[in-house]
Amino acid sequence: MTASTLPHADAALQARLAAIVGERRVLVRAGELRTYESDGLPGYHARPSIGVFPGTRDETIAVVRLLAELGMPFVPRGAGTGLSGGALAEGVVLLGLHRLTRIISIDAEDQRALVEPGVVNAALSRAAAPFGLHYAPDPSSQTACTIGGNVAENAGGPHCLKYGVTLNHVLALTALLPNGDVVTLGNADGECEGYDLLGAFIGSEGCFGVALDVTVRLARNPQAVRTLLADFSSLDAAAHAVSAIVAAGIVPAAMEMMDGPTIQAVEASIYAAGYPVDAAAILLIELDGAAAGIDADADRVAAFCREAGARGVRTASDPAERARLWQGRKKAFGAMGRISPHLVVQDAVVPRTKLPAMLAEIARVAAEYRVKVCNVFHAGDGNLHPNIGYDATSPDESARVHAAMAAIMQACVAAGGTITGEHGVGIDKLPYMDSLFSPATLGAMCALRDVFDPARRANPGKVVPMHSCREWHAAPSARS
Amino acid sequence: MKSSLPTIPDTCAIPGTPLSDARAGIDACVHCGFCLQACPTYLTLEDENDSPRGRIVLMRALVDGSLPVDDGDVRTHIDRCLGCRACETACPSGVPYGHLLEATRATLTRVKPNPPVARLILFAFARPALLRLVMLGGRIARATRMSRLLSRLPGRFGFAMAMLESTRSAVKRARYVPRSDAERGTATLLTGCVMEGLFAPTNRATERALSANGYAMTATAGQRCCGALHAHAGDDEGARQLARANIAAFERSRADYIVVNAAGCGAMMKEYGQLLAGDAAWHERAAKLASRVRDVSELLAEAGPRPGGALPVKVTYDAPCHLLHAQRLATPPLRVLAAVPGLELVPLDGSEHCCGSAGIYNLIEPDVSDRVLAPKLANIAATRAPMVATGNPGCLMQIGAGLHRAGMTCRAVHPVDLLDASYAAQAAAERGS
Ligand SMILES: Cc1cc2nc3c(=O)[nH]c(=O)nc-3n(C[C@H](O)[C@H](O)[C@H](O)COP(=O)(O)OP(=O)(O)OC[C@H]3O[C@@H](n4cnc5c(N)ncnc54)[C@H](O)[C@@H]3O)c2cc1C
Ligand code: SF4
Ligand code: SF4
Repeated sequence: MTASTLPHADAALQARLAAIVGERRVLVRAGELRTYESDGLPGYHARPSIGVFPGTRDETIAVVRLLAELGMPFVPRGAGTGLSGGALAEGVVLLGLHRLTRIISIDAEDQRALVEPGVVNAALSRAAAPFGLHYAPDPSSQTACTIGGNVAENAGGPHCLKYGVTLNHVLALTALLPNGDVVTLGNADGECEGYDLLGAFIGSEGCFGVALDVTVRLARNPQAVRTLLADFSSLDAAAHAVSAIVAAGIVPAAMEMMDGPTIQAVEASIYAAGYPVDAAAILLIELDGAAAGIDADADRVAAFCREAGARGVRTASDPAERARLWQGRKKAFGAMGRISPHLVVQDAVVPRTKLPAMLAEIARVAAEYRVKVCNVFHAGDGNLHPNIGYDATSPDESARVHAAMAAIMQACVAAGGTITGEHGVGIDKLPYMDSLFSPATLGAMCALRDVFDPARRANPGKVVPMHSCREWHAAPSARS
Repeated sequence: MKSSLPTIPDTCAIPGTPLSDARAGIDACVHCGFCLQACPTYLTLEDENDSPRGRIVLMRALVDGSLPVDDGDVRTHIDRCLGCRACETACPSGVPYGHLLEATRATLTRVKPNPPVARLILFAFARPALLRLVMLGGRIARATRMSRLLSRLPGRFGFAMAMLESTRSAVKRARYVPRSDAERGTATLLTGCVMEGLFAPTNRATERALSANGYAMTATAGQRCCGALHAHAGDDEGARQLARANIAAFERSRADYIVVNAAGCGAMMKEYGQLLAGDAAWHERAAKLASRVRDVSELLAEAGPRPGGALPVKVTYDAPCHLLHAQRLATPPLRVLAAVPGLELVPLDGSEHCCGSAGIYNLIEPDVSDRVLAPKLANIAATRAPMVATGNPGCLMQIGAGLHRAGMTCRAVHPVDLLDASYAAQAAAERGS
């Protein structure tokens, strides 16, 4: 069954869902569903047929089993901060998981925690703080996004440069398959035998079922931290500093770049961090680890920045200043809302050595299509986030923005990069999948999906273009 | 594969309404969701329609006409907003949420008026003689212990009586005459409806503490209710009338500062310029007046404040939303408390979250208000402090009533009362020596 043949929400379904979760937790009216029509990527809207919001694990299981019985597609949703339209539910059931906010246990000795999927990323680190621990993956949206959403998107963040992404911090999870089966993936106590189904589930963007609970690794807070702010009069110089630092074998915990327009937007916002507003680019570099030697490393990093042309390098003097410098970075995307009424953001990755060339190419594309591009990104791993602010009420400007985005994406692919570093494919990146993967690879993705969700009811129409799955099914080689 | 950025139609279904004038503020929202976890109603009700992002989506739908102004769901979720503006201090994009909320309510109440209780309260607050009578009645009920008796009744009436009961002064202090050299200029107090009616000792404490810190206090005749309750409830015209009366009254005062010890009133007066933005004759006067307005903690912090005598007491601090989020004043009240030697300040978890008072909200949306108050009371209890300081009458009464009804001995006090008591202790010690 596909989304288009779905019967519309009828009173019977509403009543059966309400019997499970309570009447207040089933939304059907246009006014109530409006806010659930989009995620963190404004501009795309899709109206769910019905919204259902279980408050417990058992309710969630009962809801999914009911939907399985009825053969109805559904879309899981966490906090709706996704940037690829992944949680959009066009005419199907929207299954909201943000009410499942229990931190079931924190095991300080073994450095792990068992959490429900609706736990907010930052809330987990807050709960772990008294034990000197934290949850390492720190997407900029960490004050809002959920662990379930992080697992589904394999979310990254500034500190993933050294510590790895979500995948590296999930030990096990309980998955509720779309057919209602509850299965354990991975092993909270150590190596898992057999195929790595946990790895397959992480980053599956809600297409393989619902993460019901997640066992995550907690990291020990580092003994020492140094946060440096280097300010440059050109993007190119900043990009060269990044290359030099990495080439010297230093692995910063994080290395983030922001360009002039981004800096100005942040400094105009409530999260003003004291960045130099006349800089063409800044690098925010964090080193952490043992106290011994950290100052020497910090000096080397500062020296590389100056050699590359930095006008100045300063170190945060206390935890409050460090927090302020990071807040500015993490709220940069939101701060750009002040510049233009509408905003699109891309999430491309290029090999780090290609960064300077890629930044130049982005500037060229921006000039060609007459659009305003702001760059704020994870420089350390070549994960670019070009943001374009525009006025969506102007068809001409919208068209130019779209063309510029496509040109930037193609340039990334041509440079040997890829189209999503951490935000996922969702619906926004679907059009690029064909140019990135061969039909055989896309077919393999369809096959993997069929293992978890043969009826393709979970998050239909996302990630892998529909046509490639059809083609794959039609190909005789796939059937034999 | 088909793909293009969707174009958004540039239409307005409700031209000429306050909400359509506020459209630019709606457009500033990028739907990032950073405000969700700051919003007490979202955390309590767990529905995004009861979050800032959700409410802004509803506002946008009214403007573009995809939802009608009489849509019941829109009204419900807008009504349930506390107006605490915690979303503003979480928003990287600078969405002027408080302004959007007022504009939305002003637009919606034209279609369907507020419930009778709300209209009655707003009516009374706009009429000084009537209000004085009501306050007098309140003081009599308090003095005769009626309020204590009736506060045991269940429901909103019992809660309202508990609010009244909680206004009984919690700080005992000896009389003293502050010495003042007036080196910091002159200040005049917005006496306020509830402050002068039920918290008169706090008003006197405010005047003494300011004098003791170098401000010469003068009185201003003809002042009225600040209009905040009206603005928050969508009665923008009522708010403007009160604002004009206050502007005229305070213009007659030559004082450098208009000092306010009620956070909600201070926030309103600082925004008079915006409130009267569309009024050519008054806009400039309003903005000029607003620039003279200060919260009492601001003036005190600027002066130090001067430390007083020892007051060995454990106190926790709860930030009034209209001080922290609307006026963005986080540290001045803490400096007031820090000037009291011997006072031990215990941090309060969730101090930045609303207590559920929100003007007249606790009387109109009692269920949500109670649910927002519950974690606040639990956090206060966890501090084991016998006093919680907060600089707004609404919060003093909401928290005070909650504590009273829960049978807790902890009392809610205004920070200035503690500073004043500290000065009184100092004066007594000097007299004694
Ligand atoms: C300002 C801003 C900054 C951001 N910065 C970063 C960043 O630095 N790094 C980064 O990686 N991302 C970033 N993001 C993107 C986004 O926050 C992440 O993708 C996040 O993981 C989404 O979590 P969510 O709870 O909001 O999920 P949603 O947006 O609700 O959903 C995202 C996807 O996950 C699925 N899903 C949600 N919950 C579950 C579940 N329990 N089980 C199965 N599937 C589920 C949904 O179906 C959907 O496909 C940013 C977003 C914003 C708005
Ligand atoms: S934080 Fe601001 S921009 Fe982001 S969703 Fe909330 S109101 Fe909108
Ligand atoms: S004003 Fe307070 S209650 Fe209303 S949306 Fe903002 S944070 Fe939520």
